[in-house]
Amino acid sequence: MKRVFKIGIFDEEERFISSIESLQKKEFKIYDVFTPYPVHEVFHLLKRKSRLPTAAYFFGLFAIIGVLAFLYYTSVIDWPIVYGGKPFNSFPSFIVVTIVITIFTVTIASLAAFSARSKLIPGRENTIFDSRATDDKFVIVVNTDLLDNSKSEQITTLMKENGAVEVYDKDFENIYA
Amino acid sequence: MYNRKIRGPLVEGNKTFSQISKEILSPMETSPGLWWYVAFGLASIAAVFGFYAIYITVSRGIGTWGVNNSVGWGWEIVNFVWWIGIGHAGTAFSIFLLILRQRWRTSINRAAEAMTVIAVMSAALFPALHMGRVWLAFYIFPYPNTRGPLWVNFNSPLFWDFIAITAYLLISFSFWYLGMLPDFATIRDRTKSKIKKAIYAFFGMGWTGSSHHWIRFESLSFILGGIAAVLVVSVHSIVSTDFAVGIEPGWHTTLFPPYFVVGAIFSGFAMVMTLMVIVRKIYKLTDYITDNHMDAIARILVFISLIMGTAYTTEVFIAWYSGNEYEMFTFFRNRITGDYTFQFWGMIICNALIPQLFWFRKVRRSWVGLLAVSLLINLGMWFERFNIVVTSLSKDFLPSNWVSYNPTYIEIGVYLGTLGLFTAGILLFFRYIPIMAISEVKSVAHIGNKKDD
Repeated sequence: MKRVFKIGIFDEEERFISSIESLQKKEFKIYDVFTPYPVHEVFHLLKRKSRLPTAAYFFGLFAIIGVLAFLYYTSVIDWPIVYGGKPFNSFPSFIVVTIVITIFTVTIASLAAFSARSKLIPGRENTIFDSRATDDKFVIVVNTDLLDNSKSEQITTLMKENGAVEVYDKDFENIYA
Repeated sequence: MYNRKIRGPLVEGNKTFSQISKEILSPMETSPGLWWYVAFGLASIAAVFGFYAIYITVSRGIGTWGVNNSVGWGWEIVNFVWWIGIGHAGTAFSIFLLILRQRWRTSINRAAEAMTVIAVMSAALFPALHMGRVWLAFYIFPYPNTRGPLWVNFNSPLFWDFIAITAYLLISFSFWYLGMLPDFATIRDRTKSKIKKAIYAFFGMGWTGSSHHWIRFESLSFILGGIAAVLVVSVHSIVSTDFAVGIEPGWHTTLFPPYFVVGAIFSGFAMVMTLMVIVRKIYKLTDYITDNHMDAIARILVFISLIMGTAYTTEVFIAWYSGNEYEMFTFFRNRITGDYTFQFWGMIICNALIPQLFWFRKVRRSWVGLLAVSLLINLGMWFERFNIVVTSLSKDFLPSNWVSYNPTYIEIGVYLGTLGLFTAGILLFFRYIPIMAISEVKSVAHIGNKKDD
C-alpha cells in the first residue's frame, strides 16, 4: 500500500517545537519527528514514554533470585565444601557475585529489549524520511493519506508560518520502523 | 539552567550543526598523515614483540618469568592492576559525570570509553597468562562439568575478579557501542562512498533519529549508566580484595577497597588527559575540548591527588599505630627505607606531590604542563602497584623466605606488547570511529553561547 507523507524541514529547535505545538492545536496527528539529538519538549508534546526502566527493574529482580538460587544449589545442595570454616550458605560473600551478575544481566537484557522494541538490529534498514535529520535538520512527518487536499495545504502553511525551510510530499511503498 | 559564568561555553565559536558533524568527522574523512603511520608502525612492532613474549610464555611456561616461590606475583599483576585502573577512566568519566549531569563530558566521553575497552582487554591478558596453562582457562566458568561436578569457589576474590572484569568489559563495550549508534547513522547519511555507507549502515542498525528511538536511547543510557556506576566502584574494590584477604603485611587492611578505587579513577583521568592533550594538538579540536575542559579535569586530578596522599599517609600511620612489628617492618624498613625506596618515593612524588602543581592556573592552561603531569601520574600509579605487589611479597614473616625480584625480558615484552596494542587500538579508533559523540555535542552546542542563556 502506498502511503503519502508530508515532510517539514526545520533549521532551528525553537521553530520546530512551535510548529509541532501549532499542528497539535489544529488537531493534526503527527506521525513522527526526527532530530539530530534528543529534544525533551518533543517527548512531552508527542507523549512519548519508555517502559524500559520498569523492564530493567524486573530483569534485575529475576537475576537476583536466579543467581542466589544457583549459588545456593551449587554450594549447599550439589557439592557442599567447607571453605575457611564458613557455612555452606555463606550469604554475605555471595553478594559480590550476585551484584555483578545482576548488573550484567540487566545490561544485556535491557539492550536486547531496546533493540527489539526500537527495531534496531545490525544490518537493518529502517525507513529514512529525510537523511538530513541525522546531520543538522529537525524533521516533522505527518501522514496525509486520509486528509483531503485543503487540509494537507493547511499543514504546509502552518509549517511554513512557523519557519520551516522546506515542506514537501513523499510517497513510501513500505514503512520499516 | 546552566550558568555560563562558572564554566564558559561548552563548544566555542557558535558552530552550526552541520559544521559540528563535519569537524568531528574530519579525522575519519581526511587521510591521517605521516605521523599516524609512523605511530601505528611503532605500536605494531611493540605488539609483535609482545606476541613473541606471549608465545614463549605459553609454550615454555611461566618459568620464563622472574617470579619465584616468594614473589609469586610480579610485573604481570602490577601491569594487570595498572591497566584495570586506566580502564576505569572511561566509565568513571562518562558514567559518573552523566549521573551528576555534568554536560562538559560530552566531547570527551567517547574517547575515554574507547580507552576503557582497550585497556581492560590489555588487562585481561595478564591473569589469563598467569594461569600458566591458559588453554584450561575455561575451568574458571561455573558450568556443570564431568569433574564432580566440582564448582568454582564462589567465596574467592579471584573468582569475583574474573566475573567482575568479564562483566565490566562487556558492559563498557555495550555502553560505548550504544552511544555510537546515532553517530554511525550520521556517517551513513553523509558519506558518498558506497562501501563506507554499507558498513556504517550495518553497524548503525537502522538508526533514524525518530522520537521513539531517542526516548528509548536516553532511558537506556541512564539505566546502563546507573547500574554501571556500581560496577566502576565494585571492580576495583574486588581487585583490591585479591590483596586485602591475603595475610601479607601491607596488604591486610580495610583501607584497600576505597584506596584502590580512587587510585583507579586517578590513573584513568590522567590517561584521559594525556589522550585529550594529544587529540587537541593533532586534530585541532580546541573548540570542542576547550581550555575549560582541561581545566576541569586538572581540578579533579588535584582533588584526587589529595585523597591519594591521605591514603598513603593513613597506611603508614596505621602500620605504626597498630604496633604490629611485621607491618612496621614492611612500611619503615622495606618501603620508606630499604631496597625499594625508589619505587616508594617515586609513588609519593608522582601521585601526591607533583599533581599539586595543578593549583596554579598557569600549569592548568599549558599543554606541556598537562601532558607532563598526566604522564607522571601514570608512572606514579605504576610504582604504587609495584610497591604493593613486590615489597610485601619479597620480605614477609620468615627471613628465610626473603628474595629479591627482577623481571625477565619476557615479562617486559608482554608489558610492551600491551602498550603497543593499546596505542594501536587508540590509533584505529581515531581513524574509524567518530572521536566525539556528535549528537551529544550538538545538544550542548549552544549552551553558554547564546545571548539568552
